[in-house]
Amino acid sequence: MESIKLRKITSVWVITVLILFIVSITLGILMRLNQGEVISQSPVTFYSNLTTHGLTMIGIWFVAGMAAVNYLMQRYIKTSYAANVIALVFTVIGVLMLWTATFIGKFHAAWTFLYPLPFKEMGAATWATLLFLASLTVLGIGWLIWSISLMTQILKKYSIAQAFAWQHFKKNPKVETPPFILISMITLIGVIACLFAAVVLLVLFYAEYFSKGNFVNDALLMKNLTYFFGHTIANEMLYLGLAVIYELFSEVSGRPKWKTTWYVALAWNFTLIFVLTAFFHHLYMDFVQPEGLQIIGQLASYLASLPAAGVTVFSVFIAVYRTKIKWSLTNLLFFIGIAGWVIGGLGAVIDSTISNNIVLHNTLWVPAHFHTYNAMGNVLFSLGFFYWFSTQFSENSKVSKFTTLTLTLLLIGGIGFLLAFYFGGADSIPRRYSIYPSDFPMAAPMATIGATFATIYLIAILIFFFNIYKRCLKILFSPS
Amino acid sequence: MQQQPILVLFLALAGITTIVFTYIFVSSKKAAQSEKGMSNPLKKRFWFSLILFVILSIFTTATLPDSPYYLFADETPAKVVHVAARQFTFFLSEKAIDPASPTGEDIELPADELVEFRVTSLDVNHGFAIYNNSNRLITQVQAMPGYVNRLRYKFKEPGQYDILCLEYCGMAHQAMRASFTVK
Repeated sequence: MESIKLRKITSVWVITVLILFIVSITLGILMRLNQGEVISQSPVTFYSNLTTHGLTMIGIWFVAGMAAVNYLMQRYIKTSYAANVIALVFTVIGVLMLWTATFIGKFHAAWTFLYPLPFKEMGAATWATLLFLASLTVLGIGWLIWSISLMTQILKKYSIAQAFAWQHFKKNPKVETPPFILISMITLIGVIACLFAAVVLLVLFYAEYFSKGNFVNDALLMKNLTYFFGHTIANEMLYLGLAVIYELFSEVSGRPKWKTTWYVALAWNFTLIFVLTAFFHHLYMDFVQPEGLQIIGQLASYLASLPAAGVTVFSVFIAVYRTKIKWSLTNLLFFIGIAGWVIGGLGAVIDSTISNNIVLHNTLWVPAHFHTYNAMGNVLFSLGFFYWFSTQFSENSKVSKFTTLTLTLLLIGGIGFLLAFYFGGADSIPRRYSIYPSDFPMAAPMATIGATFATIYLIAILIFFFNIYKRCLKILFSPS
Repeated sequence: MQQQPILVLFLALAGITTIVFTYIFVSSKKAAQSEKGMSNPLKKRFWFSLILFVILSIFTTATLPDSPYYLFADETPAKVVHVAARQFTFFLSEKAIDPASPTGEDIELPADELVEFRVTSLDVNHGFAIYNNSNRLITQVQAMPGYVNRLRYKFKEPGQYDILCLEYCGMAHQAMRASFTVK
């Protein structure tokens, strides 16, 4: 019974995420068209769309990763269906509150909502700030319950040492920790840590809001908390996707299952440390931040690439190189997604070099690299899972005809839309400008080119959606 | 300018990555059922990781000393400029700025001499980004309420330099700018 309920709620997650994704991409295209001066939005409308786009995207790809991990975790341990339902309800309510704050209340402090901007906005409704903070509270509570529930269930079966796969540092371990459990555990700890930082951040916002001027926050502390939360959750959602790949890549390819070895255990234990300290690179341009933390920011950002490349990416190479495997849309999306993740990572490592950051920070280079490892990386990890999930309970296997078309459009649209960002970044064009000053004559044409290619990407997503939604609805409405 | 080599480096690395992934994918498509895949994978993994580690170490050693915190740290600035940012304007002055009634003045700076900008904000976070007359970003720092960030720079070329806000600060962020002259 439990697995049928899990199957049904997972299909609700898949459909919800894809619908919200389509809306959010559309907002992104409208923003690029406005920057291209093809359409004309007021700055407040542009920036409230920017806020909606950023937060919705982070939220949906986080829950997509969590839903996939929750679904697959059932293979190893019993998970809580109630926690999954709570997360779904809180996510839907939280997103509706967020959209009310941004679309109706015109809240427009961007996904970073850097203190004290939410208190000093012009052109937004007075109630919008409180509703925005409340929406994040609702989302945070729902996700915290879900994450803690999954971690608790892991620890019911595995000891802490086993969940971290420490026994694999010795020869011939008696208990094997599956890579999926290890990565999920490492990721959930990071998720819980950054959600707790979000709780502290929100409490400090509320304290100032309700103290009516008697309590004032420290801007540097608030910025550190914001990026610890924001950077970490954006990174962890990628790792949720990697947990899915470790579990499914070999399976859908018809190859032996990946096993935890000493170097896999070592890599992921170190990943936890690096991912929790890399966020300092967001504060390089705050020279009052202690220098030691700035250096840690660059070192952690560089070192994070070692376990990623040496273990995960190399494992994919080993699995594929000169090996006859069954290619399907699922593992093709995983494989292309890994390439996108690597290329976005290269852009990120370049930007995380302090001496480069001084000429790249808050230019279009930033959306360039994070859109690469999200739109062409993490999103493809989740789409790969969605496709695999939708075909699990379907007898109709006539689904492959869209594979080539979907992938071709995804690649053309994705690469074109990203290059417009990279060239813009190298041309010193600022990010988050509703329209560009005349100093940057190439900015508007590049934005229009970006919007055009993003539309091709959107068409690929629409084809993908129409390819799988019926199968997901069938799972949802099948008799239990 | 620094941005062009960065773009070329990135495009080259992205190109190499694409070629490697394509090569590996094609090798799988062409593989016979009996093929055994990569030989000595553990050894290759070790060398791949070691080479990556060495490259990253070289980059770290080469780039860290160029971090803005260390540039001109031991020199005394010839000129100090106080900067106060406020939605949606910059005040620049050679005298200290009164937060209660901030005022600015036209700024003229000497070429080839060290200038220190003491940058703060009177409301939200802003960016203080300096663009040269080819509209290239040459240096920047954040303007944060309650803190003063000191940015040091030696301007080589005389001319007009523009300041743009590079930290999103609200509805007129895109219009927040100022300028100064280097002679």
